[in-house]
Amino acid sequence: MLSVIAWRNIGRNRRRSILCITAVGIAVFFIIFMNSWMDGMFIGIENTVRTYETGHVLAVSEGFEAEKEYLPVQFPLEKGFGGTEDYSDENSARENPSRGTEDYFSDDELIRLAESLPEVRGALPRIQIHASLFDNVVKHALVWGIDIDREREINHFNLTKRTDGLVSGRFPANDANECVIGTVLAEKAGLRIGDRIPLKTVSAEFSDKYWSPEITGIFEFDYRKMDEDTIIVPIDRLQRILGLGDRAQQLVVFAHDQRDSERIKADMEQLLGDRTVIRTWSDNYWVAMYRSMTWLYYIIFGVFQVVASFLIVNTVLMMIHERIKEIGMMGALGMKRAEIVFIFFMEAVYLSILGATAGVFLGGVATWVGSQFPFDMTTITGGGMKDLPVSGTLYLVFSPTMLIQNFFFGVVISALCTIIPSLKSAFVEPVEALRR
Amino acid sequence: MRVMRFIVRIAMISVCLLSVLPVSAQTAAEILDKVDDNEIYKSIIHEGEMIIEYQGRTFVKTFKVWGRENKDSFIEFTNPEDRGTKYLKKDGRLYVYSPDTEQIMLISGHMLKESMMGSDMSYEDTIENERLSRRYTATFLEDEKVDGRDCWVLDLAAIKPTESYQKRRLWVAKDNFDMVRAEFYALSGAKLKEYTLIRSELIQGQSFPMESEMRDLLRKNSKTTFRVINLELNAPVSDRIFSTRNLR
Repeated sequence: MLSVIAWRNIGRNRRRSILCITAVGIAVFFIIFMNSWMDGMFIGIENTVRTYETGHVLAVSEGFEAEKEYLPVQFPLEKGFGGTEDYSDENSARENPSRGTEDYFSDDELIRLAESLPEVRGALPRIQIHASLFDNVVKHALVWGIDIDREREINHFNLTKRTDGLVSGRFPANDANECVIGTVLAEKAGLRIGDRIPLKTVSAEFSDKYWSPEITGIFEFDYRKMDEDTIIVPIDRLQRILGLGDRAQQLVVFAHDQRDSERIKADMEQLLGDRTVIRTWSDNYWVAMYRSMTWLYYIIFGVFQVVASFLIVNTVLMMIHERIKEIGMMGALGMKRAEIVFIFFMEAVYLSILGATAGVFLGGVATWVGSQFPFDMTTITGGGMKDLPVSGTLYLVFSPTMLIQNFFFGVVISALCTIIPSLKSAFVEPVEALRR
Repeated sequence: MRVMRFIVRIAMISVCLLSVLPVSAQTAAEILDKVDDNEIYKSIIHEGEMIIEYQGRTFVKTFKVWGRENKDSFIEFTNPEDRGTKYLKKDGRLYVYSPDTEQIMLISGHMLKESMMGSDMSYEDTIENERLSRRYTATFLEDEKVDGRDCWVLDLAAIKPTESYQKRRLWVAKDNFDMVRAEFYALSGAKLKEYTLIRSELIQGQSFPMESEMRDLLRKNSKTTFRVINLELNAPVSDRIFSTRNLR
């Protein structure tokens, strides 16, 4: 009965009620949209990091880890103590740090060891190095040595279309003096299929290596850093040029289920020994940073909802002021204080529910549209976000769970904000109120 | 009388100042000229060793060098990892031949600033032709002892703004004009590189640096030691050596 009274009261000042509903609706819509945007961004970062940097689990040598910003090739993955390929005389090996070829893992050994784990979908050896380009407006590039056939089986390089990303030509053949380059690099450097790209790299023996691979294809991965900076070459060719033999700088492991990443990491630590640093994709700087910032976003969303709720708080206070005689009369007729408070509180809750419903509806429509028709971040940001590992196309995340969560988030915050002003009605003395 | 005394004092002070200032200015230029003279030769042939220490590892590279008149030079690397890599410096240009590409490439522009064969020396450092005394204005700074040797300390300011190091500081041995230490600075004043002479030998009246060390301060914990082996100065060298055809 009291709830019905509260519901009917909403219509007594329609303009004010519509304003309240609109304020709560905008707040809820904004929170849903931002939540969906942040989730889309976060999924984009995770995808990019997993595809190009870490897979689900990444193994590198200790030496590489210490100097990783230089992408050194002097530190291929080496056999450690406690691993499957253990030294027979551990102490003497520790005392003599000079290492021979037999002390390093070969590609095949690494793949065999990693793929022996049932959770592993595939293991991919990779090499990444800096290169200087000759006679070109683009001075530096990143050379990415990969097993192209295996990578294409496991990975989708184009983050948006989920394809191998090749837009023209073909990928290089194994061990061929060939390469593919990104669309942006091709455009900037004025290079086409069939051209050669003379470059200099530094080998594992710290020697200058000059080579000139032929461009056989142009790719577009929809990731600015790759499209602008990267030259993809066959790993076996790069290993030969860099004097690495069959050794690899990085081993990227993909799991059947990403939730098994930690287990794979622990198993690989056992397999490869103590000279290898193994990390999961969630240890990546950007992934960890975004995760740690999630709470900050919730605080911002909460503050936004509280600010929007001030309009309801104000409305409740005005209602109490306007209906002061009515409150006095209700009290005089025998209505309990708690019942009077309940009427005002419920009126505020109904306004919040109506506002949150409108916000959820609009937010749901907007995020669904955004999940079907993505944002072109390259255009929005005027050239793409090169430093942030995220695709140039951003999809919003449409999630019914998120809509329900944000509905309750909006209603609960708004309702909590109106408890104190509603209590004001409890302290109105009937005699005093009727006298006004 | 007082006026006379004052005039005499002023005259004496002026004579002292006039005698000291031009001499030190002239001496700095002369010293630099003598440093240059030490490195002048008609031709040079030697083998060499480059020991690079970087990122906790040591890489040794061996090479053979032919040079003439401080202008043209030809370097062929002989260590297994770099065997077949050849550099030709001719007419102020630097060419490289790599067996991986079987191509001759001209190193120019931004590439000249890069490290040569992973060492602490840049390509630009290797193609410096002209005498220091023609490229820098020297000023005498002070006397200082370096490893027990009396040295002059000279400050060198680049005459042209295009010079790769706008300022250098040299420690020149008083006994034989060896450049025992040098520091190389950028326009901003930041120290970029350090050179230290380890050992020099007197060959045909010239004191020649036989072992030296270079540190690129932009690279963490890095140094390169250069050793000259089997040095022959002013021996006949064929013109054919300094041709691009010889690179292949």
